[in-house]
Amino acid sequence: MHRRVLSFVLLMIFMAQQVGMTAALNNSDGPATPELTNVRWLVHKDAVEGTSKLRLVIETTGPVKINGALSESAGPQLIIDVKDAVVGKIDDAVALDGEIADKVTFSKKDTNTSQIIVDLSNMIDDTDYKIFTLSSGTSSTKTFRVVIDINKPLPKINYNFTPGLKDKVIVIDPGHGGSDSGAIGPNKTQEKKITLAVGQKVKTLLESAGAKVLMTRQTDVDVYGPNASAVDELRARTKVANNNKADVFVSIHINAFSNPTVGGIATYYYRNSGYGAMLANNIQNNLAKIGGFQDRGINSAGFYVIKNTEMPAVLAELGFISNPNEEKNLNTPQLQQQLAQGIVQGLENFFAQASKKGGGS
Amino acid sequence: MVKKRFLLAIAFVLLGAFIGGCSQNPTTNPPVAPTEPAKNAQQQAVVPDGQNTPLPSSVQETMSVTVYSATKDAMYLVAEHYVVPKNTHPAQTAIELLVAGTKNADLVSVMPAGTKLRHISIKDQIAYVDFNENLVKNNTGGSASEMLLVAAIVNTLTEFHDIQKVQIMVAGKKIDTISGHMDTGEPLSRSEKIIKK
Repeated sequence: MHRRVLSFVLLMIFMAQQVGMTAALNNSDGPATPELTNVRWLVHKDAVEGTSKLRLVIETTGPVKINGALSESAGPQLIIDVKDAVVGKIDDAVALDGEIADKVTFSKKDTNTSQIIVDLSNMIDDTDYKIFTLSSGTSSTKTFRVVIDINKPLPKINYNFTPGLKDKVIVIDPGHGGSDSGAIGPNKTQEKKITLAVGQKVKTLLESAGAKVLMTRQTDVDVYGPNASAVDELRARTKVANNNKADVFVSIHINAFSNPTVGGIATYYYRNSGYGAMLANNIQNNLAKIGGFQDRGINSAGFYVIKNTEMPAVLAELGFISNPNEEKNLNTPQLQQQLAQGIVQGLENFFAQASKKGGGS
Repeated sequence: MVKKRFLLAIAFVLLGAFIGGCSQNPTTNPPVAPTEPAKNAQQQAVVPDGQNTPLPSSVQETMSVTVYSATKDAMYLVAEHYVVPKNTHPAQTAIELLVAGTKNADLVSVMPAGTKLRHISIKDQIAYVDFNENLVKNNTGGSASEMLLVAAIVNTLTEFHDIQKVQIMVAGKKIDTISGHMDTGEPLSRSEKIIKK
């Protein structure tokens, strides 16, 4: 019985080899020149950071070498040479999202090189795109791709900051309010009350330094109106800053999490200009000097109010209301004053640093 | 000896059928051969590194599902892998596992208490995932919770290759935000940055 099985096994191995050899013979003309066969694209919007990028994926039948450069000779374009590759059954031209890029075309450059031309909607910087090749699968199922990532270009705003707080237009946004209490602590402290208390102290300090302060709210109210849609409420806050051409926007919040031991201060910025991170960094550095809080650092986030403001903007999370100890301290005028001073010192440091950088976005 | 010769004869007939009939009709059934050992032999010939443990056909097929939970310090998400019986709606199963929460004491579930999945559908690589109102009502209200919650839903669903973006919905409607910080009015893509490396 064993010998029967064994002879079958040997036979099948022999057969498998035969099949394998036949397959190998079919490819005996040497490796074919890789072809561009298929293109697909999508706009990737990062769930956390809120930033958008266009991703183009071009499938090729073999490994290729790529080299890309920006060109303005025929409108804004990203031109990628694909060496040792021919244009296969891929569509000649494919329309894209229309905001980041308008279309992509595939053409023959010379006998050995194909070209991928991306017509950009606006000119971008060298740091705004990334091209690379990928392969995946085992040796028999291997697929090859050229990947092109293009960031959504930033609005070209030419910031020009001067040092000092005097005459600066600063918008302070005490988070939540009115029908929206924000997070609630284990001892029933409402976030909206702490954010307003700290915001008012920031206003007083800034005004005594000569700044013009605009508050999105001065009392316990909804900014847009009671029980407005969430987006109307958030947009109303960004409008205060955008309509008044504010220099900077600071949104004040208190954090919360299900684990009551979590605590600390964090500052968030939207990745739309280098100044957002600079502002966040200066404010966080001064807030972190206040004792008793973990320094959770600065992070980029796609929070609505910092994404939709046209000037450097931050959202500061001044501790966790869900942490009983931090909740208790946040109710004291002493800590509220320290937090306000940290924000104001951060703003002053920001204007000093930004003025040295000169104009530019 | 007679038996062995008989077997060899069958084998050669089979071999002929295999090589000759391959291109026209690769599914030609061997008339008498014991198919199980033959299959195994072929697998052994093709996969040389011995990874081809044959699947016991009596056991139910399984699938692997990846679900994200938060670190205890509310900084990051961590992937957890579940092996569950295979079904035709893996995305729904993944969200049900997310709703059920983590059993790992070092991690924290992101879903607010009482959240239930109402419906999930996938169209044009976008998953529309609809929860009951507890997603909003029972949220802690902090941006840390909101960010981890949104990212966990999006990252769990974009583990599936046919889902590129996720639209979060509550009670059948798109929601602009969950607790007033994140912008959830549009379908969102995966975020790698928040995954603990």
